Amino acid sequence: MTRVRVTAPRSAARPASEPREAAEESAMGQVFVRSLIRSQLRLALVVAGGFLLILGAFPLLLGAIPGLAETRIAGIPFDWLLLGAGIYPVTGISAWLYIRSATRNEARYRDLAEDRW
Amino acid sequence: MSPAVGIAAIAAVSVATAVIGFYGLRISRTTGDFYVASRTVRPWWNASAIGGEYLSAASFLGVAGLILLSGTDALWYPVGYTAGYLMLLLFVAAPLRRSGAYTIPDFTEARLDSLAVRRVTSLAVVIVGWLYIVPQLHGAALTIRTTTGLPPWVGSTAVVVVVCLTVVAGGMRSITFVQAFQYWLKLTALAVPVIFMVLVLGGNDFPAEAAPATNPTGLAPAGPYQNISLLVALLFGTLGLPHVLVRFYTNPDGNSARRTTLIVLGLLSVFYLFPTAFGLLGRVFTPGLAHTGQADAVVLLLPGRLIGGPAGELLSALVVAGAFAAFLSTTSGLVVSLAGVISQDVLGGSVRGFRLAALVSATVPLGLAFMTDSLALAGSVGLVFAFTASTICPVLLLGIWWRGLTDAGAIAGMVTGGVLCGGAMVAGTVLGAAGTPFWLAQPAAWTVPAAFAVMVLTSRATSARVPRTITRVMTRLHTPERPLATER
Repeated sequence: MTRVRVTAPRSAARPASEPREAAEESAMGQVFVRSLIRSQLRLALVVAGGFLLILGAFPLLLGAIPGLAETRIAGIPFDWLLLGAGIYPVTGISAWLYIRSATRNEARYRDLAEDRW
Repeated sequence: MSPAVGIAAIAAVSVATAVIGFYGLRISRTTGDFYVASRTVRPWWNASAIGGEYLSAASFLGVAGLILLSGTDALWYPVGYTAGYLMLLLFVAAPLRRSGAYTIPDFTEARLDSLAVRRVTSLAVVIVGWLYIVPQLHGAALTIRTTTGLPPWVGSTAVVVVVCLTVVAGGMRSITFVQAFQYWLKLTALAVPVIFMVLVLGGNDFPAEAAPATNPTGLAPAGPYQNISLLVALLFGTLGLPHVLVRFYTNPDGNSARRTTLIVLGLLSVFYLFPTAFGLLGRVFTPGLAHTGQADAVVLLLPGRLIGGPAGELLSALVVAGAFAAFLSTTSGLVVSLAGVISQDVLGGSVRGFRLAALVSATVPLGLAFMTDSLALAGSVGLVFAFTASTICPVLLLGIWWRGLTDAGAIAGMVTGGVLCGGAMVAGTVLGAAGTPFWLAQPAAWTVPAAFAVMVLTSRATSARVPRTITRVMTRLHTPERPLATER
């Protein structure tokens, strides 16, 4: 059996010698990079905020409409259905929407940036 | 259930884990294999493995136990455990993968260009890992005692021995297969009994003993502070868990890291329906389990109580096997990531060092587990999430999104969060469950903002220390890889 010695990379930093990286670090390249970071952060905050609003609205809804929590669907009380199963699709849809927009942001960055090098 | 069935189920899972681990040994050859499985694991495999690693004793046993005790208040646990992955996707997944670092300390060192930050982060990672392993071992002790009647220490020791054998033999490549297998085993082990119980209950007129809304021990409902503080801990704790984050390095690029997270969200959403169902069935049909201090064992005992006979025995065996899969997979994931950190920082990063570090990472929590008593499993894991959210989460979030973070700020924030949250945990242990005020029992709502505030203010005050590499690092974290990846 062959054994290969594991040498742990302490820091995996890539050398910045590639022409692409030099271009990205130029003043003009940084304008694109900063705008990409800003749009990704804004997107993440909007999705997180929307999700938390919906999450907060669920218990408020149960509290605001009397009798709703005790209503039974197929024998299961509605509050159990809402908190025990209803939140999961919301996380999945939020995640899917986020990935679509984040990938689009990156594609736009690549189009802009690749015109230049 | 009869002890022989329980022992057979536990032995079967342990042997299966070891066999898959040794099978993996034959293909783990290089540095990359050993640490991060060559970064070529497919999203479905990787997502199953993340699910397998993440679903611990707290999810498998603890969630149903807490639901039995406190009803809809406890539903926030599975919701938080799942939604934590949404936060991970939004703020961490792709940039962390693009950083190219192998572990969290690697990331903070590269981002802040500081060895001191690396040391503090490593310390936080090791504390989180050890605190997280202890409840797994408590869960194993509980399972052994409940199902076989053997002394509890047998369970925790068995978990540590199996984990050490597999980790020392195979590294991360075999761990990926083991973890993926264990996600599906855990899902089956809860889903099949739930479906059987619902069918049986639908056919017979099994007497309901209580309404779903009644707390069997008369526990007072949680106030808004507790629920919010718990959600802060779970949402922000997940994105700092070392054994979860190390898995993201096994994705080939940032986009596949995002796809993996989406699949994980789906897998977790399906999984958590079943502990919830167990808890609800337990509340309605066997509320007596809450009085005997066996709440965490409701998942293990319910199939035998409701179905009985040979079918009940078989289903119980399946549940016990799933529970052991949960302890083994979470513990081995944590041991791998802890061993990676300890061997790089203390032992120079050789294979021998990794193996030695794995032994240390697994035996220290075993000692801690012997010295402490098992609390509610989901609750004690919730506190570990609070600690992670107060230490590792701020340095990750600010490191990825804020250029102004400095080494001094990162250290000050992590120390503040760690001392405050650690202090609250120690005070809670000393005072006992009854004597702890609610804001100490759920500390995340104030320790997390405090850690963030100290980190930002100290960084502002030391803004001359912003590393000169900042432009290159931020560019690398956030720009997409080229379509034809030039790095392997």
